[in-house]
Amino acid sequence: MFRRYRTVESLKARECARALRIEDPFLASRLTAMGLLPGTLIEMIRRAPFGHTYYIKADGIRLALRKEEAQSILVDA
Amino acid sequence: MTAAQATRTPKIALVGNPNSGKSTLFNLLTGMRQKTGNFPGVTVDIKTGHFRLPGGKEVELTDLPGAYSLYPTSADERIVTSVFSNPSDPNYPDAVVYVADVTHLEKHLLLLTQLLDLRLPLLLALNMADAAETIGLKVNSAKLSEKLGIPVVLLSSRTGENVSKLLTEIEKLLEESENKHKDFYHLNEQERSVAEAIRMNAGVDNPYRALLLAHHYSWLPALAAPTRQTISAIVSNKQFSSLKHQVDETLERYDHFTPIVQAAVQPPPRFPSTATDRIDAVLTHRWLGPVIFALIMLLVFQAIYDWSSIPMDFIESAFAWLSDTLRAFLPEHWATRLLTDGIVTGLSGILVFVPQIAILFFLITLLEEVGYMARVVFMFDRFMRRFGMGGRSIVSLISGGACAVPAIMSSRTIGNWKERLITILVTPFITCSARIPVYVILIGLVVPAQKVLGIFSLQSLTFAGMYALGVFAALSSGYILKKIMRTRELSYLALELPVYRMPHWRNLWLTVWEKVSAFVWEAGRIILIISVLLWALASFGPGDSFQQAEVQARAEATAQQLSPEETESLVAAYQLEASYAGRIGKAFEPLIRPLGYDWKIGIALFTSFAAREVFAGTLAVLYQLGNAEADITDAAENETKATLRQRMEAEKFTDSGKPVYTLATALSLLVFYALAMQCASTLAVVRRETGSWKWPLLQFTFMTLLAYAGAWVVYNLFI
Repeated sequence: MFRRYRTVESLKARECARALRIEDPFLASRLTAMGLLPGTLIEMIRRAPFGHTYYIKADGIRLALRKEEAQSILVDA
Repeated sequence: MTAAQATRTPKIALVGNPNSGKSTLFNLLTGMRQKTGNFPGVTVDIKTGHFRLPGGKEVELTDLPGAYSLYPTSADERIVTSVFSNPSDPNYPDAVVYVADVTHLEKHLLLLTQLLDLRLPLLLALNMADAAETIGLKVNSAKLSEKLGIPVVLLSSRTGENVSKLLTEIEKLLEESENKHKDFYHLNEQERSVAEAIRMNAGVDNPYRALLLAHHYSWLPALAAPTRQTISAIVSNKQFSSLKHQVDETLERYDHFTPIVQAAVQPPPRFPSTATDRIDAVLTHRWLGPVIFALIMLLVFQAIYDWSSIPMDFIESAFAWLSDTLRAFLPEHWATRLLTDGIVTGLSGILVFVPQIAILFFLITLLEEVGYMARVVFMFDRFMRRFGMGGRSIVSLISGGACAVPAIMSSRTIGNWKERLITILVTPFITCSARIPVYVILIGLVVPAQKVLGIFSLQSLTFAGMYALGVFAALSSGYILKKIMRTRELSYLALELPVYRMPHWRNLWLTVWEKVSAFVWEAGRIILIISVLLWALASFGPGDSFQQAEVQARAEATAQQLSPEETESLVAAYQLEASYAGRIGKAFEPLIRPLGYDWKIGIALFTSFAAREVFAGTLAVLYQLGNAEADITDAAENETKATLRQRMEAEKFTDSGKPVYTLATALSLLVFYALAMQCASTLAVVRRETGSWKWPLLQFTFMTLLAYAGAWVVYNLFI
């Protein structure tokens, strides 16, 4: 009954998915203001050299997210 | 426009998202007619400038920090919110020019719609018309203007295209008596009831502004305590949950304006921007990325450390010439010496930093302008966070290898206040160029010139060890500060990586100009005062002790049949001993004896408080080397250096007769100089950047105590 959603953090490089919702309300406020909304197409580009930071594309804009931030975005993939 | 507004200079605010090209437009409109001021209470700068409208009217333009929304997530964005939530704020504008990147318009209009609901006279400047044309994006400004109910100008702040049209529109905007646009967002039932209650009880006319107070009452600086309590009571009484409403409102605004954008903007046939992706595949690559960054930083370091030596040598010799000339033409008097040894030397000490600051800021702004800095943050955020800092801090720390002064000034780009403060506090640990002369003498004195493993010289290894000690001290202090400092500010990254662009030269020059003049006028004042003070302490003694010292020195010189030059240096040495600075050195002796230092080193420590490089010069005076300003690093002065070394080797403690400069003493001094905050310029800059004396004083105390403890441990290990 409870389906476990994937998060942006679990996307592999070049994998795309649509954002469903953002768990953390503070981050939701920040990310929606930047244009990452439910329904936005997200593409994982790469991880940072020291890990824990992700380079993603959301509807053509490029964003750097921390691990916690990437984990907070649920996707439909 | 009211009568009151007509008589004063109208205020226009530039508002927009980060990366909208807002600052380029600001620089284009105001040119050199701008200044940077601190926003009261926080250390984020607001730039203001002036320009003339076509009709001849002068207007004031304020460049507010880039923000995505009136629901702020950083100190920068909070400024925007506090200005617009309070119509009596000194920065509250008469009209707003909202700058948006036309190539990402669907992501740039959220804040615009919020400002519309505050009923401000507003126009939309669609920036980057040139980029839109290149990628084949078409926009119907008339349609956008009609749908949003505000004037829309398509322009380019890089090429200057259509800027005259913007000026005409601003002129019309200022003449408008009321705003015709309708409410963009309709408050839901709960929001309406909260806003209504705040309007009734807190005297706010606009419903959306009342709603903003419900969201932000807890931190807005302008709110009086009773108003804050009133709003707090309303919010808790109505069970108003700020974050949930923020997100809902944001999503609803998107739902409203996305169709407007879609109707007015025809996207390019093919999605462009592949150049940025190709560049990033290399520059942010897992392994190549850090290597390329290291190479770029090596180049920056080379520029600050090596290339700047030409103008720096020129400035120093020009001031030395000025000082000599003044001395030759003015009568021998203490006022002359105040001018030549105090003021001119102090001025030289300020201006000598200008080439380094200019070069550093030129290169850093260049990297910022092209969009590379955001990638550095992305790559190093995780690494630096372990030490209480963020990705941007790495730039400051590396710049600190040249000089902490420009490095600390470059910490402005760090958004999070705690991360920025830690960066400011630990940067002075990094080995700067002023420590090098001190290291050169001390290492040359006690470290044998032998090879390790056949290739490495022991002296260069010690040198490298001193650099490593600096980095270690900086990172571990960062780690400790991270553990003890508390912050209300949430830490997040969520950073936009802009498209790579060619740098805009006007922005570069204006930034360099702004940083250099800020340093000269603000930090320079304090450096000048301290150097005059130190001069006075070294030039005067209590009572007639100074004259007695001279008489005594001359008598001894006659007895020893010294040459006139040697006599003069003996007099200088005796006078320094008799001066207030000498007395302070002697008073310090019991305190520094556990570290292995005598009173002469005490004087050198005291005089080099203002600048570390003074250490060598002071020792040269104390050991009677004639030229008080002996530059120990200069190749031409190698003889002086050799003599200074001989004198230092021969130096013995007056009571025990043991040599002063043993391996233990020299290592202890090395550690002391590596860890101590001996730089008045840095303290002055920290004071400027943090806005209070609290932080530089704490930093000074902490670093001095650490240096003392470190030197004591090393002395006792090697003795």
